[in-house]
Amino acid sequence: MRVLVIEDERRLAENVAHGLRENAGYAVDIANDGEQGAFLASTNEYDLAIVDLMLPKLSGQDLVRRWRSEGSRLPVLILTARDEKATVVSLLNAGADDYVAKPFDLGELLARAKALIRRGKGRPAPSLRVADLEINTVERTVRRGGRVAHLTPMEYRVLEYLAHRPRAVVSKEELLEHLYDYNWEKFSNVIEVYISGLRRKIDAGSEIKLIHTSRGQGYALRDESDAAAGSGGGG
Amino acid sequence: MRGTSLVRRLIIAVILSQLLMAAGLLAAGEWFTRRQLLTAFDTALRGRAATVAASVRYNESGPGVIFDPALVPPSADRRHPDRYEIWERIPGRTGLIRVASSTPAPPVAVTNAGGYADFRIGGVPYRGLLLRDLPVLDTEEGLRAPLPQLTVYYASPTLDLQQRVTALAIAIAGSSLVLLLLAWAFAAWAIRRGLRPLRQLASQAEQISVHNWAFEAPDPARTTAELAPLASALERMLAGLQAAFRRQHEFLADAAHELKTPVAILKSSLQTLLQKPRQAQEYQESAEAALEDVERLEALLARMLQLARAEQYADSGAPAEAPVPVPATCEAARGRLLPLARARAVTLRLEDGAAGAEGELAVAADGEELELVWTNLLENAIRHTPAGGWVAIRCRRDGGDAVVEVQDNGSGISAEELPRLFERFHRGDSSRSRETGGFGLGLAICKAIVEAYRGAISVASQPGQGTCVSVRLPLAAGGGRQPSVAEQRLEV
Repeated sequence: MRVLVIEDERRLAENVAHGLRENAGYAVDIANDGEQGAFLASTNEYDLAIVDLMLPKLSGQDLVRRWRSEGSRLPVLILTARDEKATVVSLLNAGADDYVAKPFDLGELLARAKALIRRGKGRPAPSLRVADLEINTVERTVRRGGRVAHLTPMEYRVLEYLAHRPRAVVSKEELLEHLYDYNWEKFSNVIEVYISGLRRKIDAGSEIKLIHTSRGQGYALRDESDAAAGSGGGG
Repeated sequence: MRGTSLVRRLIIAVILSQLLMAAGLLAAGEWFTRRQLLTAFDTALRGRAATVAASVRYNESGPGVIFDPALVPPSADRRHPDRYEIWERIPGRTGLIRVASSTPAPPVAVTNAGGYADFRIGGVPYRGLLLRDLPVLDTEEGLRAPLPQLTVYYASPTLDLQQRVTALAIAIAGSSLVLLLLAWAFAAWAIRRGLRPLRQLASQAEQISVHNWAFEAPDPARTTAELAPLASALERMLAGLQAAFRRQHEFLADAAHELKTPVAILKSSLQTLLQKPRQAQEYQESAEAALEDVERLEALLARMLQLARAEQYADSGAPAEAPVPVPATCEAARGRLLPLARARAVTLRLEDGAAGAEGELAVAADGEELELVWTNLLENAIRHTPAGGWVAIRCRRDGGDAVVEVQDNGSGISAEELPRLFERFHRGDSSRSRETGGFGLGLAICKAIVEAYRGAISVASQPGQGTCVSVRLPLAAGGGRQPSVAEQRLEV
């Protein structure tokens, strides 16, 4: 998952980014004013934007309004020092999904961020399930048939992203886009390394393989037997 | 209404004065009537006594006089008949010889100087008149012999007079009582009505609370001579209190709002640190960063306190101060900001203004506060002037005012932003990014201090050309040292 933090108070932006990276394993980009934020959002794929309300150049509310008028579905969490009812109502009416009042609790901010990402992906449950594979996004643990699989942070991020889009074929480019922040050099072959790691730790020893490769297109996490049995049945 | 009631007291006062008036009327009426009736009674009594005396005839045939009781006119009061007694004095003889008397005879009574006597017979009041040395009227012509003289004592009952006086007193008392009751009712109505503006004012004032400052004196109270000063004093006091309360409230709200971001930084830093066990060096670095955050918070608090102090005199004016020479404070402020100007490669100079600056340029103010104003203005100017630019501070005299100007050739301020420049926590939007390091309090503090000393502060700016802030302070009445302002240039 990749998150955009737009906050002019640098120290605060860094703290939020640090929390998101360390606690949730997300890739995070930081913008220090509204215009820079708008630029980053238009040139990169994000799964969530955390936006300060009072921003130089372009306010958080104007930013949300602009995104919504452009048809963006990006989940937006607003940071605000004003928690008066009128401000909150007008924020939510402008298209924001949630807000946190300063000074906020970092744990709460992270939990809300995760919840918004889950909602944005259409998977509201904090625990994701594909066949007998269970991914707990709160504790960041993975079990296959009750057995704990020990994944590296990057392997987990790849798996979590695939699990949020079950059955869909996700391209390497999309994975790179959503798993690395702006400052990383993106090499597509690292994805192959993580996928083979995941296969070894999750599919090895199980009859049903969950990780599938569509050559030239990308990867998918799905239970083929389930799909064959219930063909036509969606979701 | 508990305790003493104004209405009740006024009614009691009215009733008491009415009672006093009624009592006076009663006493005067009784006294006057009695006097009038008594005069008439006395005249009648004298007439009757004279009549009795006139009915005494001279005796042609012998000595003495003849009296016929049948000639005495009948008494007015049959039940209590008049009484009389007649004596004669024979010339040449001593003593009085009784001629006749009514049956029964009048009792002996002591007469006063006028010859009248008051007494009672069987409980009935009588008034008698003693007439001495009356001539016998019935004499014949040419009779030379010395004639006897008569002494007549005649008494009539005054019962009727007493009854009339009593009846009058009862009439007066009765009508007074009726009038008293009417007066009571009228006074109660009129006083209640008259005090209505006071009651309205009181009930309006009762509505005032910490949450409801709205007070408008009702019109009747405002137009009542006795209540108008009270009503306007209440209105003035409440308006002043409300303004002060609102300022405090706004300040508190602003302060709380501004403190949220630094607290959020500190809190998120510490929470990040505690997310998992870390290396000693990480703890060290985070603690240092947190300390920096706290220092910034401390600086913000110090600025807020400066503003709060400056604003407390916003309405009343600052307490009287000894005159302070303005040029000296300007010099001191420039000295303080030279390091910052050097660091930002901005030329900072002190100029004297017009030729009139030789006069005494002293204002009655706290020197440190003045210096704070110049320091804030200079700091702002330096922060908004690019490297290579210049900032100047100059002071001059303009009529009865000292004028200090801080000018720069920096970025300037847009016309939309000018009116909001002196608002608390206002940061020009483009400069809100933290590089300028301000809290948005400097100009608000300047304005509060300048206004506390009954001065004025104004800004003229041309975006891209520069800004000139000018402060105008009234000159002190006397004193102050000769300013030693020479143009100074400092190339940095």
